[in-house]
Amino acid sequence: MNTSAQPRTHGMNMGDLNRDAASAELSLSQETPCISTRDMSLYYGESKALKNITMDIPKNRVTAFIGPSGCGKSTLLRSFNRMNDLIDGVSITGEVNIDGQNIYDRRVDVADLRRRVGMVFQKPNPFPKSIYENVAYGLRIQGINNRRILDEAVEWALKSAAIWDETKDRLHESALGMSGGQQQRLVIARTIAVKPEILLLDEPASALDPISTLKIEELIHDLKDRFSIVIVTHNMQQAARVSDYTAFMYLGELIEYDNTDTLFTNPSKKQTEDYITGRYG
Amino acid sequence: MKTASSTLERELNSPKTQRRRKYRHLGDGLTRYGIATGGIGVIVAISLIFFYLLYEVFPLFQDAEIEESNHYSLQGEAAEGRTLRLVAEEQNEVFARITDSGQVHFIQVADGQSLGSHSLPLGADQTITSVSPGLPGDDILALGLNDGRVLLVEFSFGVEFDAQGERIGVRPEMTFPLGDETLILDPEGRPLQDVSRQVGRNGFILGGIVDQGEPLVLKLATRTNMITGQTQVTPQPAQLPARHAYQQLLFSEDHIYTYAVRTDGWMDVYNTRRLREPELMQQVRLVPDTQEVTAVRFQLGSDSLLIGDSQGRITQWMLARNSDGERELTAIRRLELGDHPIAAIEPEHRRKGLVAVDTQGRVGIYNTTAENKVIDAQLLEAAPQAVAISPRASMLLLQAADGSFVTFDVDNPHPEASAKALWGKVWYEGYDQPEYIWQSSGASNDYEPKFSITPLALGTLKAAFYAMLLSVPLAICGAMYTAYFMAPAVRKKVKPVIELMEALPTVILGFFAGLFLAPFFELHLPGIFALLVLMPLGLLAFGYAWSQLPDRIRFLVPDGWHVLLLFPVVMLIGWFSFAASQPLEVFFFDGDIRNWLTNDLGITYDQRNSIVVGFAMGFAVIPTIYSIAEDALFGVPKSLSHGSLALGATAWQTLVRVILPTASPGIFSAVMIGMGRAVGETMIVLMATGNTPIMNFNIFEGMRTLAANIAVEMGESAVDSSHYRILFLAALVLFGFTFVVNTLAELVRQRLRKKYSTL
Repeated sequence: MNTSAQPRTHGMNMGDLNRDAASAELSLSQETPCISTRDMSLYYGESKALKNITMDIPKNRVTAFIGPSGCGKSTLLRSFNRMNDLIDGVSITGEVNIDGQNIYDRRVDVADLRRRVGMVFQKPNPFPKSIYENVAYGLRIQGINNRRILDEAVEWALKSAAIWDETKDRLHESALGMSGGQQQRLVIARTIAVKPEILLLDEPASALDPISTLKIEELIHDLKDRFSIVIVTHNMQQAARVSDYTAFMYLGELIEYDNTDTLFTNPSKKQTEDYITGRYG
Repeated sequence: MKTASSTLERELNSPKTQRRRKYRHLGDGLTRYGIATGGIGVIVAISLIFFYLLYEVFPLFQDAEIEESNHYSLQGEAAEGRTLRLVAEEQNEVFARITDSGQVHFIQVADGQSLGSHSLPLGADQTITSVSPGLPGDDILALGLNDGRVLLVEFSFGVEFDAQGERIGVRPEMTFPLGDETLILDPEGRPLQDVSRQVGRNGFILGGIVDQGEPLVLKLATRTNMITGQTQVTPQPAQLPARHAYQQLLFSEDHIYTYAVRTDGWMDVYNTRRLREPELMQQVRLVPDTQEVTAVRFQLGSDSLLIGDSQGRITQWMLARNSDGERELTAIRRLELGDHPIAAIEPEHRRKGLVAVDTQGRVGIYNTTAENKVIDAQLLEAAPQAVAISPRASMLLLQAADGSFVTFDVDNPHPEASAKALWGKVWYEGYDQPEYIWQSSGASNDYEPKFSITPLALGTLKAAFYAMLLSVPLAICGAMYTAYFMAPAVRKKVKPVIELMEALPTVILGFFAGLFLAPFFELHLPGIFALLVLMPLGLLAFGYAWSQLPDRIRFLVPDGWHVLLLFPVVMLIGWFSFAASQPLEVFFFDGDIRNWLTNDLGITYDQRNSIVVGFAMGFAVIPTIYSIAEDALFGVPKSLSHGSLALGATAWQTLVRVILPTASPGIFSAVMIGMGRAVGETMIVLMATGNTPIMNFNIFEGMRTLAANIAVEMGESAVDSSHYRILFLAALVLFGFTFVVNTLAELVRQRLRKKYSTL
């Protein structure tokens, strides 16, 4: 084995799980963007939590945000579907464009935006309803109550989230009886049931055991063809395993953003290298 | 470094530290046992209250007891003759025996010793043929003689004391209210086979049966001279048509109705308002065809008749209006005593009770209101010669067929309590149909107490219902807004203020409601309804108008502060509603809505009514419901609402579809606890409801609740009386009610905790 031909991995097992064979050849400049931020800053009251972020999130790829705790990666993710609106005293400058429209424009229907940009949270949060009703919830919200349509959509979503086999016999039991990993995949199914264009995953596996984590990662890989996925993780191996592109953030700034192989093997910034080699974080 | 750590180690193991550890351990144990003791103490205290209530209520449902106390035969002179009537007295020490030979013997109850025999002032060939049934509370008996005359005799039994104030005993006395004079009932001088007497407002009336069942009536107006004390009697003879053979005449207290018992099992009811022209109102068959009437007496109060028949039944009859509005003798209840003919009926003197003895010596003691047979015992072997019950109904005196006397101690303190009397519909005397009535005391001794808890329980529910009607929507909607939409800064102020409302003493609320709200609402009734309609509509309209304003203005008010905008709106709508009250009343209701309600709709309007209670008690309950519901709503994990919002749900959809269902057990629990509070609330309902124990849900009438009833009547019930114990029963019912409501709320809360513990 020719070790010198191997990319530098800094001793990490990069894994080959979800990686496209040609991931090293991926280049941001060739991608179609689905989210573009332009000089976006976010303030919690007076303090500036995100500093002039300008980036393009590519369509139908998995983009990971990494960085130490408090660096603003979750905040940035939440600003893509305006979940930050729910936090008191948040104000935003700059633009976040999805499909060519600034989502912070006053005319934007926030509820519809959130349907198009789905989000999965760190902790599984199924509603205290049946599995079926959890998945059907988003559709019922849209006024779809036709039983046949709902049945199909629920089955499709559960299959897409690779949880159909485990749930098909207990669709009408409470979702709260499932394990954490199952709940999280159910939440993903619930999110994709409303056919969003973009999936935002906020540390989706951090509360799960390794086997459940693996399943989530497999799922992300499966979903990539149909959705643009943005994932926040503080687990660098995970970012390396699942993502096509990785953005490294530090203290509210976007330090480096490149295809995952490049960022992990050949970071251009000193801070990035320090982080991925574990000097701080 | 090494020395520091070894110093620390030494310190950690020093006796002082070890002592401290021991104290800590001791403190821990003390706390644990202290808290356990406190907790158990609370449970014990509540159980004790519960058992005390049970203890006070229990005697109501205990069986009465009867026990033979004496059995003897009379000796000497006192034993002579046939007993026509026995008269017992209150102390159960002496009784009088009236014999057909015109002798009255006073006899000691305990041993049958004669205390003296007296001859009645009769002529040589006069004998007593009949004695009128005694009337409770009136010690005069009419003696019917063999020459158609009537002698009145009065017995009195006073307790005697000697000079030192020591009790000597009961001294019986016999007097003659009209002197030795006899009244002529039958001018033809035939023997009176039966005689009856009824007192009225200014005199009395005598009825007699002579020869072949011919009825005779004599009304006597009496006037007592204030100065000489002499009584002047003016006789007014009257005649009933001798259409049938009669066996007994009875007169109502107002002398308007005369009940003539025929010998063939029928009764003729006459209207004798005009004595000279009696008018036959009704002929009624008292017993089934093959049966006979064997005993007839008035129940206490002379409002209803007790008819004993040859099949061992006692039927209570009473004049009541039928469906056509005409007064008609109606059988209102039937009591059973074996299969043998009823030989005698003796009503109790102070309660709606009676003793019945059949020809086989079987004795039944009943209460007619409660339809309660408290005693059923075979006390003799055959029909008694005479029966008497003492005024306190504590002694039963029987003369057996062999002439011996048997006395019984009767312990029958609470015959009025039965499941039916307490909860069911009862046909009370003077009413036209069975009804639920609470009316525990009346002006006279012969009053029939009406102890139906049903109207009180219903009143409690009614008060709670109207209070909940106002408070539940307000409190829950308020909680929804505060928990979910209100800006945290506003919430921090609003919530404590509403919770502070709970500290307002309810007596102030009741005072305010009774003295201010009730008259105010009465004056501005259309305004109240205008307010109830306009307030929600006006707020909605304002909300819509606000949303249509240009963004420039809308964004001046930050999210969650909009509630402040409503202050002037609420005030304006309130002012407008009451300002419009007068014009509305003039325009729609001819200037008087109360008249309109009463005349056009037939709805009674009371000043202290359910609206007032709804507002006042609703106000008292709002903080309870609001506080718990707000906690429940606010406690729904944010991850759920965020999850819903992230799926594209609007805030309202999230609230309705996720937050509310998740918080619903908590909200239910809040409502139940509020309900428990409303049910047990006393001062407001006491002061603002009018305390009328009625059986309807009319919003314009008041109610009487269990709690208010206890507060109102506690002071006027004699300790250990049935009334007193029934009040305790009401307390027990109330306790049970709040206990059930609160337990239910707690169970639901526990389930909630379990269900959402995984969230």
